[in-house]
Amino acid sequence: MEELKLVTSAPPHLKSPVTVPWIMQQVVFALLPAAVWGVVFFGPRLALPPLVLSVLACVGFEALDCLAFRRPLTVGDWSAVVTGMLLGLSLPPGCPFWIPLVGGGVAILLGKQMFGGIGQNTFNPALVGRAVLLISWPKIMATWYVRPAFVLQPAQAATYVTPVDVVTSATPLGIVKAYGYPAVWETGPNLLFRLFLGLIPGCIGEISALLLLLGFLYLLLRKVVQWDIPLFYALGLSLVALLARQNPLFHLFAGGAIMGACFMATDYTTSPMTSRGRMIFGFGAGALTGIIRWLGGYPEGVTFGILTMNALVPLLDRMLPRRFGVKKA
Amino acid sequence: MKLRTFPQGVFLPHHKEDTAHLPIVRVPEPSRVVLPLIQHTGAPLKPLVNKGDTVKRGQKIADADAFVAAPVHAPLSGKVAGIEEWAHPTMGKFQAIVIENDGKGEEERYEPLPETIEDLEPERLRVFVREGGFVGLGGAAFPTHVKLSPPQGKPIDSFILNGAECEPYLTCDHRVMLERTEEMLLGLRIMVRACGAKRAYIGIEDNKKDCIDHVANLLRNFPIPAEVVPLRTKYPQGSEKHLILAILGREVPPGGLPLDVGVVVNNVQTAAALGRMARTGLPLVERVITLSGDCLNKRGNFEVPLGMLLEDLVDFCEGFTAPPRKIIMGGPMTGITQVSLAVPVIKGTSGFLFFRNVPKKREYPCIRCGRCVAHCPMRLLPYLLGRLAEESLFAEAEDNRVLDCVECGSCAYVCPAGIALVHLLKLAKFEVMRRKLGGK
Repeated sequence: MEELKLVTSAPPHLKSPVTVPWIMQQVVFALLPAAVWGVVFFGPRLALPPLVLSVLACVGFEALDCLAFRRPLTVGDWSAVVTGMLLGLSLPPGCPFWIPLVGGGVAILLGKQMFGGIGQNTFNPALVGRAVLLISWPKIMATWYVRPAFVLQPAQAATYVTPVDVVTSATPLGIVKAYGYPAVWETGPNLLFRLFLGLIPGCIGEISALLLLLGFLYLLLRKVVQWDIPLFYALGLSLVALLARQNPLFHLFAGGAIMGACFMATDYTTSPMTSRGRMIFGFGAGALTGIIRWLGGYPEGVTFGILTMNALVPLLDRMLPRRFGVKKA
Repeated sequence: MKLRTFPQGVFLPHHKEDTAHLPIVRVPEPSRVVLPLIQHTGAPLKPLVNKGDTVKRGQKIADADAFVAAPVHAPLSGKVAGIEEWAHPTMGKFQAIVIENDGKGEEERYEPLPETIEDLEPERLRVFVREGGFVGLGGAAFPTHVKLSPPQGKPIDSFILNGAECEPYLTCDHRVMLERTEEMLLGLRIMVRACGAKRAYIGIEDNKKDCIDHVANLLRNFPIPAEVVPLRTKYPQGSEKHLILAILGREVPPGGLPLDVGVVVNNVQTAAALGRMARTGLPLVERVITLSGDCLNKRGNFEVPLGMLLEDLVDFCEGFTAPPRKIIMGGPMTGITQVSLAVPVIKGTSGFLFFRNVPKKREYPCIRCGRCVAHCPMRLLPYLLGRLAEESLFAEAEDNRVLDCVECGSCAYVCPAGIALVHLLKLAKFEVMRRKLGGK
């Protein structure tokens, strides 16, 4: 018999077909319906440049960072694409071109690479980028362009409809903050329905709760994410809404709550590893989102709610599951 | 059919269809067998024969004074050609007795047991099991008589026969349950009587429905209380701790044994071999193994003498369709890769798998996806333990329960970053144990 060239390796000799790039690609697929809707609803001129530039910036800055520090190129793992999508989808349509560039740079360099790259960062990179933009350019980040047909305005404000392509509009949460919670219900009929479908002004990819939930359902079916964080996020947010005597469904469908609960808070690296940890994490992020909306200075609380809970993950990860063979103490 | 199971674990492609339908084929005696002086978990044996001695099939040729050890018998009649270092499938090299077949077929047998097992003294049965050289034939090779000797104050109420066979590709237990059922049930009675259990369970995964039905049929009018328990096909259902959890809802405490929760578990093939000895008096000198993979000309389930060399088995299977790149003893989840065809079949050999295609999974940094945590059947945090092992923080690994790891490989299977988690956990376990034992 001829000489065999045999390899030795540690078991297991079977490996699941799931890989890091495959997972990241699934998240990109899951975000596509919401992204396409954003482009359709706001028009390509308003929605495409922020989205595309955000993805390019994230991938580009990661590549530059790898080159600058002479480390292996890591953009092939697709995680920068996901960060770019998440950031781009949470930008206001029609924002200046340099907003996604700065946001992507901050997200990747400050939010991810400085910690050591994929898997090492404490805070969700897309939210780090968004937070810096929110604090630095609050006006730009709260200027919402939309087609005139979908302008949202409270009854108190003067009505004007001019025959132009796009106008600026308030968002539902902006109206709540500026004019009080009851005012938002006077902006027209079927508010919850419009919120759910995404027929309102808002961030490019955050307006349609329906399409985001469909994307999340896809990730659930592909076993890419688990249901625990979004469910407990919804519970936390709903509880605060009830305490504020406001409609929990309004709070779930308005702003970036569904995007935050399903796609930002579920980020692997910046969420807890155990089921119990994830439940506490999700509940806390949802509750903080609600508290900021209700009592805080910003109309929207998703970004800071999740970033705050990100900081608690190392602590939550210290909770061990019940040990096999040991009854509850 | 209501299926029992345990929390977490993984669903694997089981690849059993290649050989599950193939009846056991008896392999002709080879010209030479090699019997390592360690084939079980426990103390190594001392040879009872010298170079040049003639031995008969069934003659005891090595034994030890230690309690946790099982003697080895000659699987064929012949002459001891030497006692020398030889390639060992799990230990690199080890002292082994080499026997050249003389073709005379002379045999030495023990006295068979009467069929009235339930009237026999447990101690007599334990001695019988020990003399027969029985160890767990599922792969761990723990001496059977030790399991059947519960210490004072630890009464055994349940006996579980492990027919889960949760490792992919392996089908030898499947065939034994179908073809050696009477012997298996006789062996079961011997083990139940020996350990004093009140009730017996036979756990079988539901990808072996034919076994479930067949064994259940033969259990009608069985002299002792016994039942088949269908199990969900999920890995690692055949792990002792998870079999007990699935069938009885009991969790073995950390560092403990099944007997700490009143249970003894043994493999179906151990029972079948024991039943055969009870009838024929011939000790453990052969076993059923599966030869499979993607490049063997004749795959199947084979009854082979212990000590038969892998190269002779490959010849019997008419060689390879293409040269294998990886050879594994045991299943693909826990099996050990082999470096040569010179290794013998030992008591713990459930099969050899031959693979031409060896896919390599690219390694990435841990992305903290949590799959290892979600699937670990022992509820450990493999990502953390792996990291602690990498950093040589073994005391912290011990605090985080690394010794609970059953080394099933579920964590490394599911890891999308291709991190060799179970390898790192084994390293940490080894270091923790070494420090505990005061080693250097």
